[in-house]
Amino acid sequence: MVEQKKLKYEDVVIQNNLKFLNSLRIKILEPYSDISVNFLNSFSIELKKDKNTFRSPELFSLMLFCNRKNILKFKKKFKNDQFRIGRGLVFHVCPNNVPINFMFSFILGLLSGNTNIIKVSSNVSKEKNVIIAKIKKVFKSDKYAKLKKSNFFIEYNHQKNPEITNKISSKSDCRIVWGGDNTVKSIKKIDAQPRCLDINFADRYSLSVINVKKFNKLSKLEIDILARKYFYDVFTMNQMACNSPHFIFWIGKIIKEQENYFWEKISKIASKKFKFDDVHVMKKYNDLINKIMNIKLIKKIKMFENYLYLVDVDENIKNIENLRGNNGIVFQIKLKKLDEISQLITKKCQTVTYFGFQNKDFKNLILKNNLLGADRIVKIGQAFEFDLDWDGFDTIKSLSRVVNIK
Amino acid sequence: MDKIENFLNRNDVFETQNFEHKKNFFNMIKSLTDFHKKNCQKYKNFIRLTFSSDLIRKIEDLPFLPVQIFKTNDLKSFTDKDTFKKISSSGTSSTSRSKIYLDKNNAQNQVKALNKILSKKFGGTRHPMLIIDKDLSKISRKEFSASIAAVHGFSLIASKKYYLLDKNNKINYKILDEFLTRYSSEKFFIFGFTSFIFNYFLNNLDSSKYKFKNAVLIHGGGWKKLEEQKISNEKFKNLLKKNFQIDNVVNYYGLVEQTGSIFFECKYGYFVNTIFSDVIIRDKNFKILPPGKKGLIQLISILPSSYPGHNIITEDIGSIIDPNFKCGCGLNGKHFLVYGRAKEAEVRGCSDTK
Repeated sequence: MVEQKKLKYEDVVIQNNLKFLNSLRIKILEPYSDISVNFLNSFSIELKKDKNTFRSPELFSLMLFCNRKNILKFKKKFKNDQFRIGRGLVFHVCPNNVPINFMFSFILGLLSGNTNIIKVSSNVSKEKNVIIAKIKKVFKSDKYAKLKKSNFFIEYNHQKNPEITNKISSKSDCRIVWGGDNTVKSIKKIDAQPRCLDINFADRYSLSVINVKKFNKLSKLEIDILARKYFYDVFTMNQMACNSPHFIFWIGKIIKEQENYFWEKISKIASKKFKFDDVHVMKKYNDLINKIMNIKLIKKIKMFENYLYLVDVDENIKNIENLRGNNGIVFQIKLKKLDEISQLITKKCQTVTYFGFQNKDFKNLILKNNLLGADRIVKIGQAFEFDLDWDGFDTIKSLSRVVNIK
Repeated sequence: MDKIENFLNRNDVFETQNFEHKKNFFNMIKSLTDFHKKNCQKYKNFIRLTFSSDLIRKIEDLPFLPVQIFKTNDLKSFTDKDTFKKISSSGTSSTSRSKIYLDKNNAQNQVKALNKILSKKFGGTRHPMLIIDKDLSKISRKEFSASIAAVHGFSLIASKKYYLLDKNNKINYKILDEFLTRYSSEKFFIFGFTSFIFNYFLNNLDSSKYKFKNAVLIHGGGWKKLEEQKISNEKFKNLLKKNFQIDNVVNYYGLVEQTGSIFFECKYGYFVNTIFSDVIIRDKNFKILPPGKKGLIQLISILPSSYPGHNIITEDIGSIIDPNFKCGCGLNGKHFLVYGRAKEAEVRGCSDTK
């Protein structure tokens, strides 16, 4: 039996005990049903009314994402001749240190037509508080009474209260686990029903690749634009998210002035746009020194004050999975051909952001080299654009059940 | 290497302002940098990629390591067989502890420097000392913790040592009574970590029963606990005075990476630099900040010779006092203030679920 008093009851938690589990009735809907789309739109409207939304890039992008027009674009793309319906109860285990991740996880479960239990990060964050307050507010409307009864947000510490995870797991039809490899492994060990589907968003790394032939031809103004986009890819979430790029690969012979201008520009943007505090700086400096002390294949470093550290790595490096920066450390390697990056794209590679290539270049790269990694290949500037296709899954399809009626 | 004896043999440890000293100090640190570069491969990797020696003209141009680096790397400038002892800073897990490798020579120099500073600060004569800790001296000589090192170092000014805590970290009242009966009528020292003084003195000891009128209380090693409880240095002093009649409370500041060359508070509450060290304040871009401005504290010490800990940027925030300000304490060294750790911002990433 789950001990209820062990839960942390804070204002932000919608469910303040686990009683609901005993009387839980699972409700399922078709993907993109009106009530779900309307709910997200109402949520987006609530966000728009709050000035906090305009101070947080993460809340701002969430607001745009949940807007009806945006969701309907996904619905249109979903084209589906099959009869699909939610799988049942989805248990979302969300990471502690990405404040808004739980909302995106919830969106996946909601749009695919499921009943959801969302384990929210127990870290204190402004974004989390704003989101929970808005959900509460939207749930107050009678229109969404049905959804209120089938979506539950909870907060507890899994290490201290694994029995809560056990209990919810035993009732789940699907578990979505976001986290480091250790979290994923530890949740995998917890028994679930035999037909329970686990979708694990484990630890990944991301990188960028630039076609130098195209880059060399860019005007100063065009480099400014590209630099601004790349700045957001690198510095959003302090470069700590799975989709934050750490490496940049230049394919072809670069014109030195163009390259210098690009990095100077990024460091200038960082000096204006990025909120550095002393702790970030020390973490970043320590990380840099630690790497140059220990990694022989580092050839050169360039420090743009403390805004941006650029680290040249020897092209003979065999694996870059764990060679990662924080708060603006970018590793770079210059190569002759795109094919040469193939051995550095492992299963663990999530997002490749690019400039100057075509879709077919990447299709060829993956097919020719049997690449098991790189699930998102998007233009530079889109590293943080959330999508319903994530980590190699069409999430709405994965989370819904096909009923074959003939 | 420049001769460290030239510093260790000097008598006035606060005489740091003259041109001659500054020149010698710079040369000493420069030659330490070269020495560690020759003798520590990881340090060499660091220097090779980050600093160009032709750009070095002043003390602030010399390369500095981040304080955390000693937690993740074993840094030493001598061969293993010379290891005298390994000091670990306090910390809950092995990954959060600094590891400092000392050879005999380095350890001796630490003691010499500390001795000089202590005798200048507290006078040449020894007095009985009540140590707010348990007796840790029986623990392995090879694996030293920072707390043992500190107690060991400060006992240089102790004529007798009494440990207030028993092995279960409980106050040993028998010892306390014995100590006070014997020594409370003459000058004596109380020494301990700030957090221990706070826990055992202010939170535990019955102040109606115990008074320490003739004590000089020396404490250091972190304000974290007091900051959490919103207790300033001043309030801490006032409480000790009010509750236990301790008038003379002296705070010290230093790094385990630079044991020996520590800084004491003067009568007016400023830390004062000695001839063994220098203090620089830097902003977020590591630019030097002028006196009065708050920033990251960089500490430079002539002592570390068996590991490259001579030039370190800390995560503490401090400021230098205007050199034109004539402090009533009369000491010549650079005066500075320490405000505590840089404030931790939200830590983010995808890789942690609890």
